[in-house]
Amino acid sequence: MDKNKHVQAIVVGAGGGGGVAAKVLATAGMQTVLFERGGWPSYDAHINDELISQRMQVLDSAFGPAWDKHPRVHVRENGERDIITAANGNYNHVAACVGSGTVSYGAMAWRFMREDFRLKTTYGAVEGSTLDDWPITYDDLEPYYSQAEWEIGVSGDDGNPFAAPRERPYPMPAFEYNRDGEYLAGVCRRMGLHPFSIPMLRNSVAYNGRAACIRNRTCCGYACPVDAKNGTQNTVIPVAMATGLCEVRTHCVVAELLVNDAGLVSGVRYFDKDGKEQVQTADVVVVSGSATETARLLLNSRSPLHPAGLGNNRDCVGRNLQGHAYTGASGLFDWDILDLSGPGATMAICDYNHHNPGIVGGGLLANEFYMLPYAFSQSRPWGEPRWGKAHKDYQRNNYRRLGRMIGPIQEMPMWDARVTVDPQVKDYWGIPVVALSGAKHPRDFEHCRFLSSKAEEILKEAGAVRTWRHTGDRPPSSFYGPSGGQHQAGTCRMGHDPATSVVNEWCKVHDVDNLFIADGSVLVTNGGFNPVLTIMALAYRTSEYIVNHYR
Amino acid sequence: MLDRRQFIKQSVAWSGCLLLPACRPDPRQRLYRTFSPEEADCLIALCEQVIPADDTPGATDAGVIFYIDNAVAHYFPKTISRYKSGVASLQAYCIGEHGSPFETLPTQVQTDIMKRMESGDLPASDGWEGVSPKSFMSMLVEHTMQGFYGPPRHGGNRHYASYRMLKLDFPLVVGQNRY
Repeated sequence: MDKNKHVQAIVVGAGGGGGVAAKVLATAGMQTVLFERGGWPSYDAHINDELISQRMQVLDSAFGPAWDKHPRVHVRENGERDIITAANGNYNHVAACVGSGTVSYGAMAWRFMREDFRLKTTYGAVEGSTLDDWPITYDDLEPYYSQAEWEIGVSGDDGNPFAAPRERPYPMPAFEYNRDGEYLAGVCRRMGLHPFSIPMLRNSVAYNGRAACIRNRTCCGYACPVDAKNGTQNTVIPVAMATGLCEVRTHCVVAELLVNDAGLVSGVRYFDKDGKEQVQTADVVVVSGSATETARLLLNSRSPLHPAGLGNNRDCVGRNLQGHAYTGASGLFDWDILDLSGPGATMAICDYNHHNPGIVGGGLLANEFYMLPYAFSQSRPWGEPRWGKAHKDYQRNNYRRLGRMIGPIQEMPMWDARVTVDPQVKDYWGIPVVALSGAKHPRDFEHCRFLSSKAEEILKEAGAVRTWRHTGDRPPSSFYGPSGGQHQAGTCRMGHDPATSVVNEWCKVHDVDNLFIADGSVLVTNGGFNPVLTIMALAYRTSEYIVNHYR
Repeated sequence: MLDRRQFIKQSVAWSGCLLLPACRPDPRQRLYRTFSPEEADCLIALCEQVIPADDTPGATDAGVIFYIDNAVAHYFPKTISRYKSGVASLQAYCIGEHGSPFETLPTQVQTDIMKRMESGDLPASDGWEGVSPKSFMSMLVEHTMQGFYGPPRHGGNRHYASYRMLKLDFPLVVGQNRY
């Protein structure tokens, strides 16, 4: 049998968006090939090793990509170009394996709020930013949010008074608070705030044939030893495979999207697991490689009709790269506020997500995922000794006494925060690599100062004996260039106008009629929330459109 | 003629006599992949300053030197020359200034030297090729923390020294404890 026999659909990248797309297409009867540059994740590959976890990546990254084969370039503000690997903080790394970040994430399952789709209408234009409204609204996405919550599995309740209305309840009951969550929730209520249990893509009870969560501390940044965390690798991708119509082709690196004379995508050129060049053709192609890698693939796909890369005739691909600045405050208590019942984050407030005076958007605040011992050794208030007996004493006296309220802020998208492909540097397969350039918007720092001061108020009210804020505006952060990271988004913006966006409201590339994008790239704005559930919901919506129009 | 049993007995006896003394290593030789025993002695003293033993083990007891030795060989080969240059330059400074290598100096003197390295006050005129006293110090502190607080499978945190200190459950029993 010809391995590269023509199929109806190709999905490039088996993460949060690609896994969903493969499931919808395959269950609708479309012959699908799902490409993934990494392999299947296994718990044994990283166990509880903090130094190779997705949180720290000190020695290696258990979920890939291989450090030596996937370089990137970081362009400094002065134009100097550094070659970087996944070991560098500014690499903006996401896991490269089946499931991608959904294997190792902390699994917060946020729906965006109504305002998050209407930022420009709500707040007006922002100078120096490409802030805009989405071409779709919350109500367009609501049914797909539900579908993601039920098919992938979310635990939660209706405790958040600021959440937009929902048609269906969550499939699983909410998680209980841990000790610091319980305590800080009481403090928040006393302050007139509205704490609630964080919705999680994690099983509070046995669900979908898999066990309930055992409250591991090694959760965010790790795979789950009892498979109680729901990613695409243990939910929708197995469903796609069970149809017999979806082939998951792992360790395959897609180099280029091929274009025919009519300007349509005819398939992909890729390198298989032995490094051999192959071509797979299809009727329709969905790209879901993350905001950085999707942009790279489009930019690397040059043809006479698309000389600057697919979808890039108006120079929009790769722009508006956004992530999340994390901000908040830490507080030391004189009693053991942590019971270390994992994964740590259980309680959140959305009181500051919108309508803060002088601030565009906002961000949630949550008691943070626990730090493991090495991460904790790196976490000190400014001026505290970094080594010696004092450091050791701090470590053992305070490991259970550090309360935190942390959250992501709505960042201002920037036209010049962008992904390009480097003219010289190539990866192991000879494919030009991602070059990241740009910086954060000055208002992001203002925003961090605002949200961190609110977090500090809570910790002070809670009786912390010492508090400090994380505002991210100390000098090293400017070195990190544009925001991206695990929450990277925005590089193939959704919109009606082809002059300012790459895909239309169905996530179809404007000038290519059979090319779709299903990952964070299409997000117009990234919200003050972890974006994964929105990426999944959009992938459901996009794939349903493909099934209706291309099957 | 020897029968089979005697042959085995004798060969065991002979090999015992001949091979054992040759096998017994100098306790400090071939213990490290990257560092010479002298370099390691200096690093051990430096790491012990970063995480000193008190009523719980410090960096030496937890085998942090083995973590660093492994990690630089395996994961950070570019730092090998920085470590070697840093140690040699520090030793030259200690011998020039105090007449003896770093690891033999009194604890308080060691601490003072390291504080000066951290703040950038230590003169870096001689040696310090490719590494400054300050960057050497921050690299050393970072790697010591990784070795002491990271999991034991990379060579440090022997007998779960840091997890015991933090009263964490260990070792891992998958699905049974919360680590």
